[in-house]
Amino acid sequence: MLRLAFPLVSHLPARKPPPIRPRPPPARRYAASATATVSSSTSSPPSPPSLPPLSPSSAYVHLPFCRKRCHYCDFPIVALGSSSGTAPSRGEVADDPRIVDYVRLLLREVAATRPVSDDGVPLETVFFGGGTPSLVPPRLVAAVLDALRGRFGLSACPEVSIEMDPGTFDAAKLRELVGVGVNRVSLGVQAFQEDLLRSCGRAHGVEEVHEAVGIVTACEGLQNWSMDLISSLPNQTEEMWEESLRCTVDARPTHVSVYDLQIEQGTKFGQIKIQLLPPVTGHIHLFCAPQIHVLVQFGYTPGVFPLPSDTESANFYKIASKRLSEAGYNHYEISSYSKPGYECKHNLTYWQNRPFYAFGLGSASYINGVRYSRPRRMKEYAEWVQKLEDGTWSHESRSSDMKDMAMDVVMLSLRTAWGLDLQRFSKSFGKSLALSLCNTFKPFVESGLIIAMDMERQALPHLDFELDLQNEGDLGSKVAFIRLSDPDGFLLSNELISLAFGVISP
Amino acid sequence: MATATASRLAVLAQRPLTPAPRRRRNAPAPGRAPSRPRALSAAPRGRVLCLAAPASAAASTTDAGQDRLQKVPISNIRNFCIIAHIDHGKSTLADKLLELTGTVQKREMKEQFLDNMDLERERGITIKLQAARMRYVMNKEPYCLNLIDTPGHVDFSYEVSRSLAACEGALLVVDASQGVEAQTLANVYLALENNLEIIPVLNKIDLPGAEPDRVAQEIEEIIGLDCSDAIRCSAKEGIGITEILDALVTKIPPPKDTSKDPLRALIFDSYYDPYRGVIAYFRVIDGSIKKGDKICFMANGKEYVADEIGVLSPNQMQVDELYAGEVGYLSASIRSVADARVGDTITHYSKKAAAALPGYSEATPMVFCGLFPIDADQFEELREALEKLQLNDAALKFEPESSSAMGFGFRCGFLGLLHMEIVQERLEREYNLNLIITAPSVVYRVNCADGETVECSNPSLLPEPGKRRSIEEPYVKIEMLTPKDYIGPIMELAQDRRGEFKEMIFITESRAKIIYELPLAEMVGDFFDQLKSRSKGYASMEYSLVGYRESQLVKLDIQINAEPVEALSTIVHRDKAYSVGRALTQKLKELIPRQMFKVPIQACIGTKVIASEALSAIRKDVLSKCYGGDITRKKKLLKKQAEGKKRMKAIGRVDVPQEAFMAVLKLEKEVL
Repeated sequence: MLRLAFPLVSHLPARKPPPIRPRPPPARRYAASATATVSSSTSSPPSPPSLPPLSPSSAYVHLPFCRKRCHYCDFPIVALGSSSGTAPSRGEVADDPRIVDYVRLLLREVAATRPVSDDGVPLETVFFGGGTPSLVPPRLVAAVLDALRGRFGLSACPEVSIEMDPGTFDAAKLRELVGVGVNRVSLGVQAFQEDLLRSCGRAHGVEEVHEAVGIVTACEGLQNWSMDLISSLPNQTEEMWEESLRCTVDARPTHVSVYDLQIEQGTKFGQIKIQLLPPVTGHIHLFCAPQIHVLVQFGYTPGVFPLPSDTESANFYKIASKRLSEAGYNHYEISSYSKPGYECKHNLTYWQNRPFYAFGLGSASYINGVRYSRPRRMKEYAEWVQKLEDGTWSHESRSSDMKDMAMDVVMLSLRTAWGLDLQRFSKSFGKSLALSLCNTFKPFVESGLIIAMDMERQALPHLDFELDLQNEGDLGSKVAFIRLSDPDGFLLSNELISLAFGVISP
Repeated sequence: MATATASRLAVLAQRPLTPAPRRRRNAPAPGRAPSRPRALSAAPRGRVLCLAAPASAAASTTDAGQDRLQKVPISNIRNFCIIAHIDHGKSTLADKLLELTGTVQKREMKEQFLDNMDLERERGITIKLQAARMRYVMNKEPYCLNLIDTPGHVDFSYEVSRSLAACEGALLVVDASQGVEAQTLANVYLALENNLEIIPVLNKIDLPGAEPDRVAQEIEEIIGLDCSDAIRCSAKEGIGITEILDALVTKIPPPKDTSKDPLRALIFDSYYDPYRGVIAYFRVIDGSIKKGDKICFMANGKEYVADEIGVLSPNQMQVDELYAGEVGYLSASIRSVADARVGDTITHYSKKAAAALPGYSEATPMVFCGLFPIDADQFEELREALEKLQLNDAALKFEPESSSAMGFGFRCGFLGLLHMEIVQERLEREYNLNLIITAPSVVYRVNCADGETVECSNPSLLPEPGKRRSIEEPYVKIEMLTPKDYIGPIMELAQDRRGEFKEMIFITESRAKIIYELPLAEMVGDFFDQLKSRSKGYASMEYSLVGYRESQLVKLDIQINAEPVEALSTIVHRDKAYSVGRALTQKLKELIPRQMFKVPIQACIGTKVIASEALSAIRKDVLSKCYGGDITRKKKLLKKQAEGKKRMKAIGRVDVPQEAFMAVLKLEKEVL
């Protein structure tokens, strides 16, 4: 019944490589080898699970429910309204049927998803993202975890994260979640200013923020939690940002995520709305063209008031990097900071281009080299799950080519402080590509946006980089990694990565 | 259908053209007449055995039209052209003449109008000329009327002069609601120089604003032409057409009978047909020409065999022989119109005429610009397109040029601005090329320190300041006719363009002729547009080259991040360098996206910076969150960004979008 779910493998006799790929896909090769090499110095990520490369050991679970949609959000969510979950509940209140129905669907998807390999590689990380997963009753979260355990296995001490919003849980609920296996919380605080929270449409205020921080820090059995902040909110000032960072440091989370506000089309912040209004008075006469009133409403433009200017918002980024580093956090990824050893293992799966399962509305999985995003509308998602169960869904096997894989590797690894492993890269995608990439980056190594590092991840002077480049024969004899500098290189990551894209796909 | 297609062609003459290799933007819908050139070449050419037939007493004019191929005595031939300003109704009048003489059926006319060529219809101008032979019976006597069409624009004044030379008379058509315009005037003078009998016609008398008396008086005052029996007509309404036909017969003298002399035929137009080679239109001045004759073109000495000769009536119809006074075409497997240039004389190889007809001259390009394909891959296509156009347009010159900013392209020379625009538009429309067009420039004469004089039309090739003693630029005399209300704004415009006031004459109480001399370079931009807008469309102009003069000219360079951008270099007058430099640097700052570093944008004369702007560095370009590991959207954005970079041209380390170049070049056209 499930055979068609992943036709790339399911149609083939076991253990034979798929005929459409004469060689093992390089991305996987890269990913596999990358896992073996990145861990050798002070700033290295926690040693990654040493698993066979093809089996995902991470699962993302989308729990789309929110009380209301935040003004910046363009995610597949289901707004429940204020009736549900506003009061922290212990579960005695009847569960919202929409949540129950959805979780049922989720469980069906889990059950219908065939593990990539039969050799019982257990999940090392599970991430409940949303939406606002903390609106989901803990017993339902437990049900999902049980299903995952049953289907794919859970390792002895997996990282199980959940996103929680202030005002949606109490100590008991958190205890309950920890009781069912959750051991990492990502707290969506976003700001410490009442006005800012209101203006970006958050469903909570500053009081709930402090309350939530209190609950999380007081929770026994929960050592690992992240504070999520958003910078460059409308009307945000430097003082406000400094205040938020101070409060964050004071709360002593093990991890901080700082997201720069992105104005997305279709969100309240980004909308461009053109509305035709009927005439205010009178009837529409048959032969008289009705007057049409047009209401045009524009959203915010990045860099334009009330949003902070580009300069201000770049400054916010730099301030965060400075303050959090001072407080002992490593800036290990463009928007992630952690105390040593507390990097989010689940997110590392993404940055290291390793495969992962995903379940739920709109979620994106990466299995057998194929990225697939589920339908973002509930009805279509439900139909999709049905097809998956019936075995009538098959993913069109887009053969992801070398260029795309190289782009993924560059794009993901340059987001991290570990950077791009040049030797691995040139092994997977060819020496000449690695060379032209380095040549393109040369001026930026000189200007300091990009840092060249040796095997020990010690930064090298740009002249060494250039010398190494001239010595085409053995690129990487000295330079082993390149990374974007913090904060300047990170701040221009799109520019630099798109330059690299231009080299990969000229 | 073929007849219909060819008929209007012959009259309004659409300048002949090579078929576009690709579908044109406004390709005719299936079922409609195919595009003109193809139709022309594919048209079945009727074969008529032409003997000097006796004049048939046709019952009606229309029937007479059907006998139009029959010979008439030379005393019954009338060769004429129509001189008119744009929109004064030349095409409509020509249509009516064809219709009334039965040369073309009314039904066909309409179809033809629809099939008119885009470019001409939009501009309301006839760019090139052709001819139509009509038969008209007056007092039971059949006459052969040959209408030779003329282009109406000053860029083509040489072509105009050659077609005038093929005629004995001209209809001067003036819009009775408007009056005489500068171009009309220029062409009337040309006609008078050629001793043509001029018949004044006041058109559009049906319009409410028509003032035929005033306009008649204006013609008398300005041109000194007796307008007492000027014909009042409305080509649109068909009023006065018979009177015009009668006047053609009674007033215009017949050609001289020199059919016994050695052959001399004047080429007044030629075009390239991809199936038959060049088709030359000519008027036999002396002697006669037969099919199969071995002929010689006197200007270049090349010899051919006249494979086919015929008349235009208005589609091509083969005949066996044409005599002095007659107008026709020939095809002789000629490869390029440059070998059958307008103004050249055709003679017999074995019995050459003693001297060629006077008035031949080579085409000299006056205005130059660089044409670069936006997509570098289209370079070869551009070359092919230019070569094809050149087959048909001997005045078009081009040579390859390369530029760091624009890549490979061509520097092209044109007779004038209209000619330049037409070529550009045809390249874009008919050949689907996307082009960047540099600011037009003129040919400068650089007097070098070593005594040598160098001609230079490309600012980037201007000799170094140290090597040159002085620069001379071409000057034109410009005559502008305007209602007196706009004299002020027009003089202001001419002053702005470094004009030197020469003369102002009130040609009537309310209209003045203003004469200036100004540098051609000042005219190649938007001078004409400005003239039109400052006079609310009423003023008209005409210009002629008066020679070279020394000017205080400097080369203005643009540097982006200290890298000179050759394509943006211009030659400007010293007094204008600052304002131009400022405008250009400001525009570039607006259009170049910010880079990862600060970029200075400067305008320089030599090493001296005269205007400077700085593009600040990008502060931030980062995508923060990968929701749930969904990297696809982010990747898409980055890919798009990478694509955007690819479309830019690298000037040193700076990525400059093509649009920035184009906007600056456009600005150069405006501010220079």
